[in-house]
Amino acid sequence: MAETGFWSGYALPFLLILGYILAIVVPLLISVAFVTYFERKIFGLMQIRKGPNVVGPFGLLQPFADGLKMLMKETIVPAGANRNLFLLAPIITFTLGMIGWAVIPFDEHLVLADINVGILYLFAISSLGVYGIIIAGWASNSKYAFLGALRSAAQMVSYEVSIGFVLVTVLLCAGSLNLSEIVLAQTELWYFIPLAPMFIIFFISALAETNRTPFDLPEAEGELVAGYQVEYSSLAFTLFMLGEYANILLMSGLCVILFLGGWLAPFDIEPFTWLPGIVWFFLKTAVVMFLFTWTRATFPRYRYDQLMRLGWKVFLPISLAWVVITAGALHVFGWMP
Amino acid sequence: MSLVTNSVRSWFLTELASGMSIIFKHMFHNKATLNYPYEKGAISSRFRGEHALRRYANGEERCIACKLCEAVCPALAITIEAEPRDDGSRRTTRYDIDMLKCIYCGFCQEACPVDAIVEGPNFEFAAETREELYYNKEKLLANGDRWEKEIAENLSREAAYR
Amino acid sequence: MPTLIIDGNEIDVQDGSTVLQACEEAGIEIPRFCYHQKLSIAGNCRMCLVELEKAPKPIASCAMPAADGMIIRTNTPSVKKAREGVMEFLLINHPLDCPICDQGGECDLQDQAMAYGRDSSRFGETKRAVKDKDIGPLVGTIMTRCIHCTRCIRFGEEIAGVEEMGAIYRGEHMEIGTFLEKSVKSELSGNLIDLCPVGALTSKPYAFTARPWELKKTETIDAMDAVGSSIRIDTRGREIMRVLPRLNEEVNEEWISDKTRFSCDGLKYSRLDRPWVKKDGQLTEATWDESFNAIKNKLSTLKPTQIAALVGNIVECESIFALKQLMTNLGSPHIDCRQDSTPFDNEYRASYIFNTGIAGIDQTDAILLVGTNPRLEAPIINARIRKRSLQSNFSIGLIGNDVDLTYKYDNLGNTPAILDEIIKGNNPFSSILNKAKKPMLIIGQGALSRDDGRGILQKCRIIAEETGMIQENWKGFNVLHTAAGRVGALDIGFLPGTNGFNTNEILDQAQKDSIKLVYLLGADEIKTNTLENTFVIYQGHHGDAGAKVADVILPGCAYTEKDGTWVNTEGRVQKATAASQPPGDAKEDWSIIRALSDYIEGELSFDSLTDIRSTMTKEIRVLGLIDKQSPGNWGTFGEDCTIQNKLPFKLPIDNFYLTDPITRASPTMTKCTETFYSNRIRENVTDG
Repeated sequence: MAETGFWSGYALPFLLILGYILAIVVPLLISVAFVTYFERKIFGLMQIRKGPNVVGPFGLLQPFADGLKMLMKETIVPAGANRNLFLLAPIITFTLGMIGWAVIPFDEHLVLADINVGILYLFAISSLGVYGIIIAGWASNSKYAFLGALRSAAQMVSYEVSIGFVLVTVLLCAGSLNLSEIVLAQTELWYFIPLAPMFIIFFISALAETNRTPFDLPEAEGELVAGYQVEYSSLAFTLFMLGEYANILLMSGLCVILFLGGWLAPFDIEPFTWLPGIVWFFLKTAVVMFLFTWTRATFPRYRYDQLMRLGWKVFLPISLAWVVITAGALHVFGWMP
Repeated sequence: MSLVTNSVRSWFLTELASGMSIIFKHMFHNKATLNYPYEKGAISSRFRGEHALRRYANGEERCIACKLCEAVCPALAITIEAEPRDDGSRRTTRYDIDMLKCIYCGFCQEACPVDAIVEGPNFEFAAETREELYYNKEKLLANGDRWEKEIAENLSREAAYR
Repeated sequence: MPTLIIDGNEIDVQDGSTVLQACEEAGIEIPRFCYHQKLSIAGNCRMCLVELEKAPKPIASCAMPAADGMIIRTNTPSVKKAREGVMEFLLINHPLDCPICDQGGECDLQDQAMAYGRDSSRFGETKRAVKDKDIGPLVGTIMTRCIHCTRCIRFGEEIAGVEEMGAIYRGEHMEIGTFLEKSVKSELSGNLIDLCPVGALTSKPYAFTARPWELKKTETIDAMDAVGSSIRIDTRGREIMRVLPRLNEEVNEEWISDKTRFSCDGLKYSRLDRPWVKKDGQLTEATWDESFNAIKNKLSTLKPTQIAALVGNIVECESIFALKQLMTNLGSPHIDCRQDSTPFDNEYRASYIFNTGIAGIDQTDAILLVGTNPRLEAPIINARIRKRSLQSNFSIGLIGNDVDLTYKYDNLGNTPAILDEIIKGNNPFSSILNKAKKPMLIIGQGALSRDDGRGILQKCRIIAEETGMIQENWKGFNVLHTAAGRVGALDIGFLPGTNGFNTNEILDQAQKDSIKLVYLLGADEIKTNTLENTFVIYQGHHGDAGAKVADVILPGCAYTEKDGTWVNTEGRVQKATAASQPPGDAKEDWSIIRALSDYIEGELSFDSLTDIRSTMTKEIRVLGLIDKQSPGNWGTFGEDCTIQNKLPFKLPIDNFYLTDPITRASPTMTKCTETFYSNRIRENVTDG
């Protein structure tokens, strides 16, 4: 064994990790861009319209046009705002949207950090997301932003609880906190079949967690203009957008990992196994993404008190009950892994 | 019974599912989008667009300065000044429409006894400055000359209902 | 007092009323075209049909005398049917060209067709067309629109005294027109436009320029002659579109003269719209501050006795009063308002007003006109005299030029000598005057603006006293003024003070250089050539004679642009209301004088129109009696002096249409002069 030199011991691993990170973040950002296109196109179709079709072939360059437009705008920091926090908030949101992806297994062994507490890590990251928003709302020094941020914080904290119980259920079944192992535990049967109610609760809670319609109250245009984002423009706003969409993608990915068998092919036979696992992962994520969009196109916005009622009085008891039922079933039938 | 069905519906989220299925089906409908400005929608012959002052076939302007349009205009967008022309006939020396004030109600064309002022089928007259939208008699007459064919056709189509 | 039952209500009416008048008394509107309360009854339009009980068919209410016990119904189906029928007949040959008709919006036929007509026509045949007549530069004709109400013919015969208009042909071919194609030469021809119930006779200068609904209407007083007719000025924006008469039985009844009506376009041309100051012999545009400073600088070099002020013909009382105060404060006695050097002073008010009032003409039974042509000087008064002359028991004598007054009169000659004859009783007319119960003498400015004017005034006073014109409630001594502001100026006493110069003396002294500054307040009717070496301040609204010699021009308001008090020839005090705004920098005249007083330490005490009015009426009580003709005090006025007995009286107005700066600027008045005075050499300035 050679002595660990500067290169082999520090620089190369660092560069390697940097390379890995870029290999995840760059495609991620590009896909975020196209998710917006994808979303608008689906809205268009569902509303009997054509959707974006002018910029580039089939409007494919629309996200870049939008991005360019946003970057060209002036960054405005309101006079009464706390400048540092105001600029920090979008950075936090964006960063949190990115770093969650560190533990996501795209395929067997294709994961940046294959840690054993992956799911806890994700849980922690998504809980931190509320900080970006509440800082933005407070630092803007605007009543709309502040109200939006308060709503948002309350909403995210509420639904975190039921998401926690859903995770616990999955953990009970999988017997591991490692995401890759959770996926592998589904080789026989994807969890969305035995844990169907939990899948639905997780999906709906994920909508609330990421502030998506019908739970997009923090930015309810009619009443709060754009909620905590109201004072943001240009790059700061773009960071919020990117963070938010990255978060949505993350939640979709998590959904796939927890319930839809991650990178596993639907059936372990040819021709399904021809496709590599990473493609299956992306396809499944896309399907969940589509579900997100579909829901958004279908349902109108909830009232805030209904939202809280749903979180605390429906999802919490049901998910709690399912934890107990699942745990009991595992214990009684000896299925415990 | 209804308690049971209601509970089942509520627990199995059937209404949400049916709602989503309806929206999903819409994805395969024919699209209503018009690819404006390459495609344009059909316009009613009663469409009230940009104003025009018409002429008779012999080139004589129709407007006789009766000022009924000016009187009826609810937005006070029309300004008319008149005096006898050299041949003694009653004509306007000034016929201005402030297209920024105009609310396109069509009262002026209804009030006009000689079908001189009409709202034509043109709706693409956006301008970059406000001044461009202060129409004078010249501009209105030019509009009339440009759109005469369409306007005459629309008027004849609506003749039975006027 | 016949008692009628109209629509079930009993009503008493005066003797001699018609059924139509009775209906109006009862508050019921009867549609009509030919009937007009100031004209004779024609009964030819048939629009006023009403039902009379026991009459076989509807009666024409305008021509039916009201009799006791008549039972009239105006709201029965048969009346409605009759009106609809008449209206349908009237509309048979009416072109319905309302959109291009100037009467549109204020047309009797239009309104009544809406109120009483059928909704559609059953007439499918071709309509007739009538050739338009040319009746002058004022009244336009579109004879196809005529419904043959004959109001215009009756007006010409009964009021204006021009019998050119008439109806020719019969039945469907009937046409109204002048028999020979010639202009209607009347000073009242504009009233034809108001009388015509349709758009057959319209105003030529106003043609097509405005619609009645877009005009702002201001009720005010005319200042184009000394009658002070009640008028309504219609403005659109700042521009005066037309002038219409208002009903005022005491003064102008329903008529106004053509000058009153049509000269308003003169207010648009050659206006003074900013101050001017003469620098190096050249008038240059200036600010108010510069012009006031120029006056201040000049005044500081002068003694008070080197300053004089003259007031013109069309100036309202407030400004005259302000200027008088200013001159008093400056210490100058040289002020005068009598541009034509008439001999009035204001010791006895009766000596310079039309004492009987214009309505008094209706009661008089003999008039002696001295040196006047009321037809040109005051057409409204002339129409009153004509109206009286059409009734019985009336005679008129005229000492003056033999002119067409539209009625018959005895021409007694044209020299002051006749006055002596009448005093001595040698003239046949003196016996007429002596016999008359309420005789009247009207003396014109032509008789007084002579060197021996005060002597003539004295003689006329003597005639009035000798022939019984001065009675308990009747002072038959009437002065006919031609200037709207003159009586007001005399009431205020804008007359030379102790050792003060009168107009002629001021002008003479100016030439001799002992008067060095002359303030002309709208004074244009003077011989300005003597003022060439004098510092002249001209305050007025038109760039006329006065402004041409001015060193400083202060732009003021015309009579339509300021609130003011005017006193007409009767001594009736009337308030005028501003109808529009003055052009450019021009200001109200009293406020100019007030502002100037700050510069030249002549300090005036008032700051608003209300202030100046209260000061003025406190000092001159008679000016506070608005709309009243207050009687003047009688006394011994006039003076003995050598009278040039052979010198004939010269009339003050030669050309009716061009008498003041406004009319001289008016294109319409110029056109009238070209038409009606084409056989004369045009004089631009009259000896007003």
